[in-house]
Amino acid sequence: MDPLALLTLQALNALSLSALLFFISLGLTLIFGIMRVVNFAHGALFMLGAYVGVTAHNASGSFLLSLVAAPLAAGLLGLAFERTALSRLYAREHSAFLLVTFGLALALTEAIRLLWGADARQAELPDALSGIVFVMDEPFPVYRLLLIGAGVLCGLGCWAGLQRTRLGLLLRAASQNPVMTAALGNDVGRVRAFVFALACALAALGGALAAPLLSASLGLGSNVIIDAFVIVMIGGMGSFLGTAAGSLLVGFAQTFGNYYLPELALGMTYVVMIAVLVLRPGGLFGRPE
Amino acid sequence: MNLSDPRLVLAFIAAAGALGLVLPAHATTLLTEALILCLFALSLDLLVGHARLTSFGHAGPWGFGAYVAAGMLLAWQVPLPVAVLAAGALTALLAIPVGWLCVRTGGVAFAMLSLAFAQLGYAVVFKWNAVTGGSDGLPGVPRAGLGEFLAGREGYHLLVVAFLGAAYLLAWGFVRSPLGRVVAAVRENEQRAEALGHDPRRIRLVVFVLSYFLAGVAGALYAGFARYVSPELFFWTVSGHVLVMVVLGGAGTLVGPMLGALALFYMEHQLSALTESWGLALGLLFILVVIFAPRGLMGWLQAWRPRRRDA
Amino acid sequence: MSTLMIARRPALAALLAAPALVRPAAAQSGPIRIGVPTAMTGTWAALGAQVVRTCRLWAKTVNADGGLLGRPVEFLFEDTQGVPANCLRKAQEMVERDRVNILLGLMASSEALAVMPKLAEWNALFISSVNGAGSITAEHWVPNAFRSNISGPMGARALALWLRNAPQESFFSLSLDYAWGRSSVETFEGLLRGIGKRSIGSVFAPVGTRDYSSFITRVRQANPQALYIALTGDDGTAFLRQAAQFRLFERMPVVTETVDMLFTRPAGDAAIGLVGGSRYSFAFDHPANNDFVQRFRAEHNELPDTYDGEQWQACQVLAEAVRKAGRTETEAVVAALRDLEMTSVKGPLKMRACDGQAEQQGFVVRVARREGIPHPAPEVIATYSAAEVTPSCRASSFS
Repeated sequence: MDPLALLTLQALNALSLSALLFFISLGLTLIFGIMRVVNFAHGALFMLGAYVGVTAHNASGSFLLSLVAAPLAAGLLGLAFERTALSRLYAREHSAFLLVTFGLALALTEAIRLLWGADARQAELPDALSGIVFVMDEPFPVYRLLLIGAGVLCGLGCWAGLQRTRLGLLLRAASQNPVMTAALGNDVGRVRAFVFALACALAALGGALAAPLLSASLGLGSNVIIDAFVIVMIGGMGSFLGTAAGSLLVGFAQTFGNYYLPELALGMTYVVMIAVLVLRPGGLFGRPE
Repeated sequence: MNLSDPRLVLAFIAAAGALGLVLPAHATTLLTEALILCLFALSLDLLVGHARLTSFGHAGPWGFGAYVAAGMLLAWQVPLPVAVLAAGALTALLAIPVGWLCVRTGGVAFAMLSLAFAQLGYAVVFKWNAVTGGSDGLPGVPRAGLGEFLAGREGYHLLVVAFLGAAYLLAWGFVRSPLGRVVAAVRENEQRAEALGHDPRRIRLVVFVLSYFLAGVAGALYAGFARYVSPELFFWTVSGHVLVMVVLGGAGTLVGPMLGALALFYMEHQLSALTESWGLALGLLFILVVIFAPRGLMGWLQAWRPRRRDA
Repeated sequence: MSTLMIARRPALAALLAAPALVRPAAAQSGPIRIGVPTAMTGTWAALGAQVVRTCRLWAKTVNADGGLLGRPVEFLFEDTQGVPANCLRKAQEMVERDRVNILLGLMASSEALAVMPKLAEWNALFISSVNGAGSITAEHWVPNAFRSNISGPMGARALALWLRNAPQESFFSLSLDYAWGRSSVETFEGLLRGIGKRSIGSVFAPVGTRDYSSFITRVRQANPQALYIALTGDDGTAFLRQAAQFRLFERMPVVTETVDMLFTRPAGDAAIGLVGGSRYSFAFDHPANNDFVQRFRAEHNELPDTYDGEQWQACQVLAEAVRKAGRTETEAVVAALRDLEMTSVKGPLKMRACDGQAEQQGFVVRVARREGIPHPAPEVIATYSAAEVTPSCRASSFS
């Protein structure tokens, strides 16, 4: 493999990883932007997405359907949770949130084990997606290209939604000044409920998209959440652009770090995070609290 | 009766010590571990409750203290109390540079920064096979220099009780001291405290170091208790657990977090013996507690007591 | 002070010992209780589920035959989540509260290593059915610990013996960066030298790696004739699926220390062609094994996996030792376990006295599509004698 092919291949690898990471961290940053809280259950929702996705895929035979079913299920669960539990806590300190979402993560993980059992679940990709293309004479999976495309699409969609729609305007307003937004006659409660449901749906979509690479298993949630934390902190909590940049940074750092410095890879992400937070406590694109 | 009265708290701690002598063996062992966790939660309360710095990386000092003590006990058979204090001191020393970087920030950034340091500790012990045993950890940590009684189950229990009592007095004394009052002032109104000539960053650093010292002591006591250390001690779930203990008990009360530690430890232990689905039960319980007992167990106890007296 | 202590001690000891003096008579008639602190939830839950269901099946089978020494067998299960601190606490409680003196089914090697130094103090014994770390029967060995399962180094050894006759000459290794992965690769590289083949490099993926594309690219770049992996559980599944998506297997065969359906099954067709050592396989043709497989299928309507077989063997070893000892006290059972010889699901085995390791046959399997089984499953392609695959006493490598 010549150096250019190697570099190209690794760049594509990094982009596909970044896309997955973007799906996971986008929801976390949305929740933070609007509600100023950390959602601990995010990893569990990602895992739920993988399980629902695999089950829907196997039951219907359609991979596309699994990409609808997973976010739908998680979105509804998120909505119900926000209405029954979270909505009572906005006036309280953020430690209350921490405990409640920690509780949700615990309960959800166990509920998944009860529903699906302890063994990992998997579904096979349809033939159209399991093929390869040749990139500089090296095989590269079509599915990873699809991931990159989905990541870009989701990024553009969310950006347009935030910038160009009335709802987006409302979200940005609620994030910057909830009191004023409410005073202007908007229902901030409904905005929050919508955002939480959307964030849960995005995490689950990430899970459903990751399932063909990983299979659905009980260990999925706890690993993913730390990566998502790192990305959101590096990018700047609540910053959409920062999350995109953070996903790319971590995706590239992990892919190239694993190639050139695998010995240091485990600690590297944290060193980067410490450096960013020490130099810019608000993250690269965020504003300090 | 005021639940935060230090005499009452010390009496409770002493009672826990006495209890260890009369309980059946397995119950004493459980209680010893629970008391070590009380000390751990107490140390975190100084940060979370008193300085309002929500640390999400308290597994860092806990694991560090445990490994330092285990190393000293294994390599040189240092007497255990010396190893515990030395581990605490080294943890405090480490807390100076770490804290200096962390306390510049607040809120979620502080939580994540402390998490990053703890995870970095995890990465280091995991990778450094030659010294830390890597993922296999270090088994067979001796309870060196304690004599036959103190090295035994009941003796070690009393040792832990003594450390917990001393730590509580230290934390209580600190909170009541002039310096402790400045911490509260910085917490409530940073600008005003600054105008009065206090350097908020330095003040926070002092709390940070003290908190790390106590967490290091707790970790070291755990190493001697379990006679085993492994990288899991540093893992973020441990940080999450102790934070839940503090919030569950009621942050900022010193007693509350200790109650929270006892409650969470025993609930988890009993539930997991009862059902495989203990996670489901515990998770739902957290959600209910937060919604219906906003100030934790302490708030709930204090609200409930006077009302009963009225009736 | 010290005289007082000495004077008090015998009295105290007598007081504490009093119930103990009564206990043997009572204990000899009640059920035989066996403690299983294992991972029922968390990352290791799927393995723990195998341990638990096989213990239950074994108890049911034994009790239907009138029990052990005429006493019913009773298992106590507790969830440790695979965390050493929990395991220690649960095991201690079983010993101190429930008067259990036999422990089985510990999950992570780190859990076993946490419990082992306590066995003497607890006067309890432990038979490993899962733990692969070489050090358990080497530098960390304790007299009350035994291992009836095939260890990590033994699996690598069987594979290396098979590779002697393979056409591939150059190997590259990929493993997760933790104690088991590192020792597995180290053992394998040593074995390669022993059979005159070459290792052209190795890479260790950080724990928690989910995307293996960078490592797959690295392997292609190194371009060995075969790839050795020390990955299991979710990591093994993720790697196999992704490597298949990159068509890596069209370039080179992949071999591994331990083939386990737990990770090959979720990998689907990606696992076909994988060759490796095996700790246990339903496919091993032996009357005792065929009987077990039939019994297991009747109960669970599926094939027993690696740790079903290993757990069954551990239970059988325990039963044989208890029968030989005629009682269940720790010293008696430990004495009976020393150099115990018997036949189990994997054929003849001997619990050697010097380090508690069971000397037994080694297997090499290949994952293939097999008639009557809905998913790709292993078939046995080579068997090696105990003498060939067991390391020397208290050693975890072969010299």
